[in-house]
Amino acid sequence: MKPRSIIKSSGLCLLIFNIMLLSGCWDRQELNDLALIMAAGFDIKSDHKIELSVLVFIPKGGGSQQGMDVSGEIGGGEQTLVRSAEGVTIADAMSKLQEILPRKIFWGHTDVFIFNEDLAKKGVSKQVDFIMRHPQLRERGQIFVSKQKAKDILKLISPLERDLSEVLRELGEHKIGLSVTTKELSEMLIGDSKDYALPWIKILPAESSKNPKQTIAYITGTTIFKQDKMVGKIDDSLKRGLLWLRNEIRLAVVTIKPPNTDGYISLNLYNAKSELTPEIKNGKWKIVLHAESSSDIVQNTTNLDVSNPVIVKKLEHYLQEEIEKRIELSRNRVQKKMKADVFGFAEAFHRKYPEIWNREKDDWNEIFPKVEVTYDIKTKIRRQGLTS
Amino acid sequence: MMKQAKISPIQMALLMNPAIAATVLLLVPSITAKQAEQDSWISPIWASVIGFFVVFIAYQLNKLFPEESIIEYSEYILGKFLGKLISAAFLFFYLHITGIIVREYGEFVSATSLFNTPMTVIIGSMVLVCSFAVLGGPEVIGRVSEIIVPVVMLLYIIIFILLIKDLEVKNMFPIMEKGIKPSLMGSIVPQSWFSEFILISFFLPFVKDKKKGMKWGMISVCSVMILMVLTNIMNLFLFGKLTASLTYPVMVAARYISIADFLEHLESIVMAIWIAGTFIKITVFYFILSLGIAQWLKLSDYRPIVLPIGFLILLQGLWSAGDLQELSHYLATTGAVYILSFQVPIPVILLLIATIRNKIQQGKGNKQNEAPVNH
Repeated sequence: MKPRSIIKSSGLCLLIFNIMLLSGCWDRQELNDLALIMAAGFDIKSDHKIELSVLVFIPKGGGSQQGMDVSGEIGGGEQTLVRSAEGVTIADAMSKLQEILPRKIFWGHTDVFIFNEDLAKKGVSKQVDFIMRHPQLRERGQIFVSKQKAKDILKLISPLERDLSEVLRELGEHKIGLSVTTKELSEMLIGDSKDYALPWIKILPAESSKNPKQTIAYITGTTIFKQDKMVGKIDDSLKRGLLWLRNEIRLAVVTIKPPNTDGYISLNLYNAKSELTPEIKNGKWKIVLHAESSSDIVQNTTNLDVSNPVIVKKLEHYLQEEIEKRIELSRNRVQKKMKADVFGFAEAFHRKYPEIWNREKDDWNEIFPKVEVTYDIKTKIRRQGLTS
Repeated sequence: MMKQAKISPIQMALLMNPAIAATVLLLVPSITAKQAEQDSWISPIWASVIGFFVVFIAYQLNKLFPEESIIEYSEYILGKFLGKLISAAFLFFYLHITGIIVREYGEFVSATSLFNTPMTVIIGSMVLVCSFAVLGGPEVIGRVSEIIVPVVMLLYIIIFILLIKDLEVKNMFPIMEKGIKPSLMGSIVPQSWFSEFILISFFLPFVKDKKKGMKWGMISVCSVMILMVLTNIMNLFLFGKLTASLTYPVMVAARYISIADFLEHLESIVMAIWIAGTFIKITVFYFILSLGIAQWLKLSDYRPIVLPIGFLILLQGLWSAGDLQELSHYLATTGAVYILSFQVPIPVILLLIATIRNKIQQGKGNKQNEAPVNH
């Protein structure tokens, strides 16, 4: 019995030893062999060529402390590394990029994608295909369209955040402007109208005393795409109206000027919600925008007594008119001038009137500019702040 | 053979759940969404009818032959030659299906994480682990699923809860835009999965409390249906029309989770769910294949043939498809008909013939019994 058990156990040991040798090393990836891509930018190079620029995270070991001692500033030029390469597709450019990067490109942490305006004019759907198809890339990455070259934006040295990808991701998450993830864009690309909107960014001018690169890019408007072609953009003052129509408004301060007074009242909006209710009557396509919000008074430069309920009722009325005016302005621009359905009217009609929609969907381009929009806006002023 | 091993009806229900649901959760939502679009959540409800039906058939057959599996009683019912032929076809079918399941597992693992690892190693290591469980017998498989299934369910529910803030209920409308047809069409592929519940006929002889076998079988079908409805609803609310164009929607859904900027990159949970679930699924199919072949050859024990069969499964997995496109195209088209045509008509015909023969025999028996009394 004894020698048999020795043979048995030694055989078992051999087996276990084999397992250690065989434990799959084919896909071993060491962190210090990876180039973590934080953001990617796409520029147009020539008719067929795209320039891919990537922002690579520089892992730092102990260097920051020294930097603090010498200049009193964290980081400096070494914080960001931007490399770019050209190719006919993104994947092609990526393979060229790998030639000049000593570490293996790793897309798992890419949060920001920037498309230059000139490239975006030709549509972004072909490039989004890469982002959706690549197994490493996550679908929560945010997409922006930039005024300046994407490469130049990536090269900016952000004074407050770690790098530019962090800046844009945080700005996008505030939802002050439009923010669109890859998943949402892909949904819009196969939606009923195939029109979409993307946030528009540009470089904030640097303080004159500082390095011109020491600044950030910020969301300043919205670009509108019709049938995968960029047809125009709306600026800061109009983008809010768009957010109301898309039910994406989260944070806003509205300032109104009550008639017969010489000051302003600013209100902080919260709990904002909006909903599109479609209606087809006698062949007329109509949309009612129901919007609800609460607000607090944050500043009052008029001589009105905001603790008086009668005046508050009036203020609520003025606020409704102000919101309606803003929405109307941006709706007019997008619906009548650009004729792009970025509000989701098509989906709303499809959901409520599937039969009519399936009959008439081929004529949607003609119907859309004629859709009548009415508003049903309810606001409630809840509090007047800490003084009266 | 092996009749001393006993499992409880609850264990049977627990091991049947991942035996059906494990592969459904990754590939089927997208296949269903292609046909049914926003009605994809209705399709599993239609498809589960086949599941209930098949469990009923298996239970009725088990009532007639309480100690035998389908391989053994097909001989009694159809005669030696025809019975052997049918059960051989059945066993070849299960060898093929097990190969496909193993390949689905391999394709998923290699497409999402292990790009360079050879398929042989990915599949081979899984089959090896499963063979240990199969060698342990039905009791071991039952207990393993008792441990794994609740954990898998919990993780799955956690994913669902974490996604709630990103879900858009309006993606569900209009319900039944083009009538009932798209959701019925979308149910064909899940039906083929539900028909795999016929495997229960192999486990019923091991069940301690046979009367509860039917009840827990039905509960198992129900749980798979609820799981599939939940999965399709989650994908529909999160991706809308996009579901159809994603290869592994559940995986992408888990990746989309982002809570407070730090609870991210949760795709590893899906990997854990998938691998634990497929482990049980492969083990169940592997066990049935080994047991079936042993019964077909009238061996006294199935254990000696477990490892050789594992080798066959490995090869079958490598041969079953050229690539992922071929595999999922096959499952979405001819595969569904192929799987359904084996697992539904054959047991139904067996039950019909068995019932008729029983009636005739009973009639004969009564006459023979009456004859001596008259004398």
